[in-house]
This record gives sequence, structure tokens and C-alpha cells, in this order.
Amino acid sequence: MSELNLVFYGIGLGLIAIGSFFEVVGAIGVLKLPSFFLRLHALTVSCIGGSILPLLGVAILAIGLEEMGSQRLFITAICLISVFIILILAPSGSHSLARAAYNSNTAPKQPLEYDALSRGVNKD
Amino acid sequence: MLSSVLLIITSIYVVTALMYIIRLVKGPTIPDRVLALDALSFDLAVFLALLSIILENPILVSGVIPLVLWIHAIDIFVSKYLEAREMGE
Repeated sequence: MSELNLVFYGIGLGLIAIGSFFEVVGAIGVLKLPSFFLRLHALTVSCIGGSILPLLGVAILAIGLEEMGSQRLFITAICLISVFIILILAPSGSHSLARAAYNSNTAPKQPLEYDALSRGVNKD
Repeated sequence: MLSSVLLIITSIYVVTALMYIIRLVKGPTIPDRVLALDALSFDLAVFLALLSIILENPILVSGVIPLVLWIHAIDIFVSKYLEAREMGE
């Protein structure tokens, strides 16, 4: 049983460490990139890589914590549920925010190479 | 060993939260601020989960689900207001 706990520790800590790397990359991108839409790209890195991977890591790590009793399954269940909620709701929220910022001309879209939407694709 | 590694990773998350707060204060337009708030709350969700592992207190992790649902509500409300200039009812 102890070796199995060590396997859970290893997988959980590995996932949390990889996720913290993605979080640092996404934070530097949100802080340093010049435009709103480029910052949105960096947000996707920090959301999927930096939030979902560490929550999965915490969920796996909490299975191996024998000294917490049966309350460790509470942590596992809530982390898995929040992983599914983030995976469904965060891309839809980012997409609606980008669509609103594009259509209302609130954010400047100046470092721009190709704009397919201005060629009559989305005229309604 | 487990606690020290988790403390280092939690301090990394605190530093990235400070970077998001800088963007939240400095952001030139409204969607930038909402974007920084979005990233900040996902960051805080992971921070709460790590804190409940470190303190061995499983009641802390139950705030993660309302936090995530709340940031989706913020996204939808702000984009609705930016696009149609009304909150909708």
C-alpha cells in the first residue's frame, strides 16, 4: 500500500510542477504581450496548462494522503468536478469576451496580419 | 519533503497572482482587465486546492467551484454589456 501511495505522490507532484511552469509562462505572456488578442492567447496557456493540470495533480495527490482519513476523497471529488467545469466553461467565456471585444471595437487590434472577419464572413 | 515542494509551488502561484494583479490595475481597456481577473481567479482556484493539501483542511477546497462559476458569470455579463450596451434580463 505504501508503494502505491508513492506512485500517487510522484504523479501528483509531477503534474503540479508541470502546471506551475505553464502558469509562469502564461503570466509572463499576459504581462508582456502588446495587444488584447495576444494576451488572450497567453490566457489560454495559463488556463488549460496552468489550472487543469495542477487540479488533476492535487486530485491524484490527495488519494495518496492516508493520514487524512476518508476526507481526502472530498478533495479529490471537488478537484475533478472543478476540472470538468473549467474545461467546459473557460473556453466559452474567453470566446464570448473576444467576440465582444472585436465587435464593439473596445480593444485595439493593431498588431494585425490577417483579418478574416472583416471580409464579410460575419456580416449579420 | 512533500510539504516543502508544495510550499515552493504555492509561492510560485502567489508570484504569478501578483503579475496578474499588475495587469489588472494597469490594463488599458476593459477586456484586458476582465482577462486579468479571469486568469487571477483560475490561479486562486489552484492556490486554494494546494493550500487545502498543505494545511490538511479539506473545507478550504469547497470554495473552488463557486469561484470558477463566478468567473464564467463575469465573462458572460461583461461581454453582453460590451456588445449590446445593456445587462439583459
